[in-house]
This record gives sequence, structure tokens and C-alpha cells, in this order.
Amino acid sequence: MLTVCPYFHVHQPYRVKKYRVFDIGTDTEYFNDDSETDLNNRRIVEKVANKSYRPTNKILKELLDQHPEFRFNLSFSGTALDQFEAYAPDVLESFQELVATGRVEILADTYHHSLAFFYSVPEFKRQVQKHERRIKQLFGVKPRVFRNTELSYRNDLAKWCEDNGYLGIMAEGWEKYLGWRSPNFLYHPPGCSKIKILLKNYKLSDDIAFRFGNKQWSSWPLSADTYAGWIHSNHGDGETVNLFMDYESFGEHQWADTGIFDFLRALPETLLRHPDTSFKTATETVQAYDAKGEYDVPDVLTWADTDRDLTAWNGNDIQRDALAATYKMEENVMKSGKRDLIEKWRKLQTSDHFYYMCTKWSNDGDVHAYFSPYESPYDAYIAFMNALSDLKLRVDHVVNEQVAKQAAESEVVSQVSGSTDFVPLAPPSVNPPSNSRDDAESGRVSHDNQTIKPEEKQRLHPLQNIWNRFKSIFPVVPRSNQST
Amino acid sequence: MKVLTFSWEYPPAKNGGLGVACFGLTRELLHDGVEVTLVLPKTQAIKGDVRVLFADTERLVRMSEYEQSFPGPYHHATTMVDSVIGYDATGKPILRSRTILEEAHRFAHQAAIIARMEQFDVIHAHDWTSYLAGIAAKIASGKPLVLHVHATSFDQAAGDNVDPSMHQIELEGFAMADRVVAVSNYTRNMLINKHGVQPDKIEVVHNGCDAEEVVALEPTLQALRDQGKKIVLYHGRISIQKGVDYFVHAARRVVDVDPNVVFVISGWGDMIKQVIHQVGEMGLSEHVRFAGATWEQERDRLYQSVDLFVMPSVSEPFGLVPLEALQHGTPSIITKQSGVAEVLTHALKVDFWDVDQMANQILSALRYPVMGEQIVKEGRLQLLGLSWQKAAAKMAALYRNLLQYATS
Repeated sequence: MLTVCPYFHVHQPYRVKKYRVFDIGTDTEYFNDDSETDLNNRRIVEKVANKSYRPTNKILKELLDQHPEFRFNLSFSGTALDQFEAYAPDVLESFQELVATGRVEILADTYHHSLAFFYSVPEFKRQVQKHERRIKQLFGVKPRVFRNTELSYRNDLAKWCEDNGYLGIMAEGWEKYLGWRSPNFLYHPPGCSKIKILLKNYKLSDDIAFRFGNKQWSSWPLSADTYAGWIHSNHGDGETVNLFMDYESFGEHQWADTGIFDFLRALPETLLRHPDTSFKTATETVQAYDAKGEYDVPDVLTWADTDRDLTAWNGNDIQRDALAATYKMEENVMKSGKRDLIEKWRKLQTSDHFYYMCTKWSNDGDVHAYFSPYESPYDAYIAFMNALSDLKLRVDHVVNEQVAKQAAESEVVSQVSGSTDFVPLAPPSVNPPSNSRDDAESGRVSHDNQTIKPEEKQRLHPLQNIWNRFKSIFPVVPRSNQST
Repeated sequence: MKVLTFSWEYPPAKNGGLGVACFGLTRELLHDGVEVTLVLPKTQAIKGDVRVLFADTERLVRMSEYEQSFPGPYHHATTMVDSVIGYDATGKPILRSRTILEEAHRFAHQAAIIARMEQFDVIHAHDWTSYLAGIAAKIASGKPLVLHVHATSFDQAAGDNVDPSMHQIELEGFAMADRVVAVSNYTRNMLINKHGVQPDKIEVVHNGCDAEEVVALEPTLQALRDQGKKIVLYHGRISIQKGVDYFVHAARRVVDVDPNVVFVISGWGDMIKQVIHQVGEMGLSEHVRFAGATWEQERDRLYQSVDLFVMPSVSEPFGLVPLEALQHGTPSIITKQSGVAEVLTHALKVDFWDVDQMANQILSALRYPVMGEQIVKEGRLQLLGLSWQKAAAKMAALYRNLLQYATS
């Protein structure tokens, strides 16, 4: 028995427009380019919808209707879903129809297609939770297998996923860690007892995703029959062939004139002709097979480039600088409690922004140049840093106002109580029970783009005056220690 | 293989990119075993080892040591040059002023004489002032002619209002040439579109750059540095081609946002008065410093002491200055209307007319110093790949290609 587990990743970032230094402090919109360039997000989504999402979903729906055995997985970034909702609602509906068949599984992901796990685990967790809520809301399902941005993976990520109840996690099947072993089995991470790893068979996946339309390729043109033969040759050497690729491979990376749609249309039937070959979703795969060995990945592994690491996102100084500047803002962004500021900050975490700043000019560099809507990595960096500077300005302004108001309140109270030692401690309202639905960590998220004004807070919390009066009696405990 | 090369300038005389390019190319050709004989219009000191003929010796035409100010004298056909045409009884030189055009014709006359005396296989003439010499040598010897385009009349006019005599020489030259070498695709396209040269007659040979060890010099502009000012440098000829007026407009936009920036303009040229007026009119006197023409050490000290270099050229066939700045550890903003933009990826690029974006890039580069550091770090690696050796190898291949059907 050999099963095939296809997984298509759907993603669109919010590209930052040519945000100039002059715009800092005056323009709050970073993503609303309306030019004829590839920075215009609406234009891109509409273009890719026509070239890829609409025709591909139509074929996938037909295939599901024709072949009851056919199954596959999808993963969505929240930024893609939001843009479908805004710019191409019919695309979102067609995805919902696919999932409604019950034979299309949705994977867990970060909402903002970020690398947050490697920079801030608390923020990563919030994004995963936000993603889960969004998937539940749109598709009515709860993901049980995890895939991280750019298929980035490390032992501690698997551990985190196990601790958070996921059954499986996806990773690149890379020789450096596999050795002589086949990617066509399930593996388990070191230090975990339950979670299993599904490894991408990169040779067979990349035959479709990267090489399909390449006329220099020795196997061009690739027919579904030939390809099915390659998959069938894995009988006896594995249990599951995991084909992971960008959804946009169909129609966008590989254009219609390469014959990719005919290939897709023919593939399930050609595969199913073999009596011992069928399809499984990720969860079915994880439940059907045992882990055959340990897959030990101490350093970050991704599906990108020939390096299979994060260097396409953090390999040069400007990328590291932009990442550091972004995550350095976390504390204040969350403190601000402003939902729109938090959302903008998260949109700026999308990995694509850092990818556009890549300066690897090797063979990989060509790929980066192809996928970048900016004229150069430096232009990408400038637009990003300027937008981030504006955001920082706004966040700091909100936080400073809060601090000033609190200080003023404390002043009044300490005068009343006759105490001279002024303790600028956050008022208790900062730490309510963290059951707030969104952005639980912040606790002060308001739902209409407005923070609760301190005056209102006093009305809402009549005990606060009493607390302020007596708080100087209590020892001052830093917030971070309170939670542990 | 023997090459007879005509050029107007050659180091160590103070001059622009043409002399630097001739020197780099000649040095590497000699290294590769190509025998180069260099012909220059007037007697001068010569840097390096190359057989040189001066077109003013032995033929009783001797030019005076012309005091070159920063702009090379040949950018307009009617620029006057003083020549010594003989000596009076007391040994005092007799001077005669000629236009560049007259000088170019005189050079051509001498070239014909030289071509009959010398043994060579190919003629290589650099830039329009030598085209007539190249043509004359070809007529005299029947050897194939390569014209090397370092700039065109359209570059120097920064538009279509070209110097008619210069343009005429270009057209005649390209018609007579067996092969035309352009220093960039930018120039190649211009030759095709503006001069109507057959595309397959043109070969692109990008200029190189010497990866010399740079010596850290004593910093300059210390007073400004001590005040915590950020410094942005322009260095080059001050003429309409170089876009200094756009640079000043960008400066205004920058200073509006960040008054802590100072702009240094190093160089001289026919537009200097206009630029000085412009700076005054735009209320930038406090923010712009004119350094005059700077050379060698003084120029290198500027490169090393500033935060950012800008080459705002309206039309730049190649543009060596950003590569020099890079060697001295300073990142550059260059215009897309330049040849160097084709080979240098580690620079900020802007359209010369997009003053707003130029200002944005200046401000961003000063705001986020990490970017400049990376541009320098990675740009220097890229410089290693832009060698004169590579350019010379391409030239030698072109010579061989021309000679394959020649019978001696």
C-alpha cells in the first residue's frame, strides 16, 4: 500500500507600497498601493485569481466529484484569506466548497505567514491561535497538523506543536538529516512521544512545482503517466509520498500553456489506476502509519533554495536589521492595545518582506529577483523600514500617553495619600483574566480601534481608586514575574 | 597582435574617466601579450609601461602644457586650446589657439603620417576626439578600425540639442568603423536609436575597476563632523550632463525633513555659476558646500569622510565615480540613466528626474546606516568581478575576430 499526501500552500502577503521617509507620521496606510505595479495587492490577487485560483479550484472540485478516493491538504495564510475576502470573494467561496467535501484537510499555520517562532514564541502562539479561529470561522474545521512558514522547522517547534495538541507536523525531507533514509515514511522528533513528522519528498514535489515547464529539463514534457510511474516506483520503499508545494504552482509559477492544468486533471486517475495506490490527508496519514525513526533537526530547516535554511530571509545585514527592529517593538505594540496597530505590525512580520531584501546573487538570487515586486532589495528595505518607523512612532505615542496618564493619576493619588514615593506601576486593569478572545496577551484590546480611555476605566473599575490609594503599601513586583 | 591606439588623454595627467579607462585597458592588454602602441595628441608624462607616440613631436607641432581645470577640454567642439606652433628666435614659444575641432583634425593629419610609418594589425580609437585620427589611420593603412565610445554627443548635451560638429564626426566615424565598442548597454542603445548604428556592429565592453588596497587617509570636513552633521557628496564635472541641478533640488527636499544634512559639491564646470545661483535661490547656502575641483588624495579624503555619494547624471555612458566611492567605503545613489547601473547591483538606483525618490533614498540611507554598510560590504566583493582584465580579454577577442579574415 502506498498513499499520496498532496498539500498546496496558499499565500499572498500584504506588500508594502513605496513608503517614503516623507510619509512617516502622515500616512497610516502601508499596503494600499494603487499603481499598475506589482506592489498593488488588489491587482496581484485579481491577477493570480484569474491565472491560478479560479481555474485550479474548478479542476480540484471536478476531481473530488469524480474520484471519491481523491484527497489533499490546503494551508492558507490569514493574509491570503483576508485579501480573498476583500478582493475576490468568489475564490474564498470556491475554497469553502472544496473543504465542504470533507476530503480536503486544512493545516495549521501562522496567521501572518511569519517567522515569529524563531523570534518570539508568545507572538507566534498568538498568530497560530488567530489563524485557528479564522479557519474555524470560515471553514468550520480545526486543524490538527501543523506546517510553519516556508516549511521552516526545528526540533523545538515540533515539541511546541506536540505540547499544543497537534498530531503531526510537516518538514522538508532533507538528506542532511535523513541520511540514507527515505522521506516516504513518518518520523518522530527527538524528545517527543506522540507527534509525527511528514517529510516532503522534494524531488517529486519540485518536479511539478519548479521543473514542470522547463524545456531544458531532460524529462520535459512531463506526462501524468510518467509521473505516476515515478510515484509507483516507491512501492516497497515507503508508505506515503508527500507532495508539498505552493498552490500557485498551478497557473502562476507554471503557466497554463505549460500544460500544468491538463497534468493536474489527469493525475489522480492515473495514480489510482494502480490498485495499491491511493490518497490520504495529513491527519489520515499520521493516523495510518507509525513513525519509523527519529528526525533530528537542531538547526532551522526550510524548503527554500539549495541551502534549505533561513538565509533567504535573514542572511544579510539589512534583513537581520529589519527583523530585529520588528520584534523589538513587540512589547510596546502589545502594550498599546490598539487593534489596528497590532494588525499592521503583524502584517509587517510576513516573511515575504524580508525575502524581498535578499541579496544572494547565486542561482538562488535569480529566484528572488523574479519574485520581488521591488526594483532592488534596498528599495524593499527602505519601504519596509519607513513603514515600520511610522508604526513605531504611533505605537510609542500611544504608550507614552498611557504612561503619562498613569503617572498623572498616581501623582494625584500619592498627594492624596500623603505619600512621597512615587511608584509608576501599571494599574491593575492591565492584567485582567486573559480570557479576551483576541490577542489574549494584551488584555486591553478594544474592538473598535479605540483604546479604553483611562477616565472610562475608572468608571468601569470603581475599585481602582482604592487600589491606587493602597498600592504603595504592597511590594512592587515586575509584571513579567507576576505571570510566572 | 599589434594595435595602434589613439586616445586624447592618459594618466597621470588629470582627466576624467576616458584616461582611466584607456590606462586600465592598455595595461591589461599588454599583460595579455597584445602589443599596444599608444598615440596621444601632445607630449605628456605617461603612467606605466607602454610604447607611446606623441602627435606633436618631430612634426614641429608642440602643444603647451595645457592647464586643465576640472572639466576635460573636449566636451564642446569649439572649446579653445592653446598650442605651441613653433618657437621664435629667443626660444619663446609661439602660441596659437585652436578649437578642439581643429585639434582633432590636426591629430588626424598626424595619425595618417604615423599609420604609414608604423606596423600594426588593428586601429583602436577612443572617444570622438580620436575618431578622425582613427579614420585617417584606416585610410592610410587599410587596417580594420575599432571605435570605442566612452560618451556620445547626446550624453554631453543631456538631450537632443547636440553639438553639430561632434555629431557629424560621430556619424562619419561609426560609418567607417569596422566595429564600435560601447561601454554599456545604455550607450549601445543610444548608438542604435540616436545614431542609427547597426546593432550587430556594436560590442559592449563594460569598464573595469582596479581593486586597489585603499589607504585610510586623514579625514576631512572635520568641523562638520564635529557638529554631528551627515554629509552627502557629489563629485564630478559640473555640467548639464551630470545632473547637479537635480541633486540640489533633492537637497532642498532632504533638508526640509532633516536640517542636519550637509551637501558637498566637489568639481568644476560650465554650469558652476548656475548651480551656485540655484543653491542661493533655494535657500540652501547653509547646507551646501562647494569644494572646488578636487584631485587624488584630496578627492579620496572626501570619499572617505562622507556618509553617502550621489551620482545624479542625466546621461552617463558608464560612470566610474560610484566604484571609486565604494573602494573608499562609501555607498552610492546612482541614476538608472547610467552604464554602471548595469554592473553594480549594490547601490541605490533612481531616475535622474525623480527628485522626490532621490531625496527619499538619501534620507533613508542616512536614517538606516546598516544599509550603507551592507552596500559597501557586498559591493566591494562585486568590484572584484569588475576587472579591467575581463574588459581586456573581451577586447582581445574582438581584435582576433576582426583579423580572422585579414591577409597579411
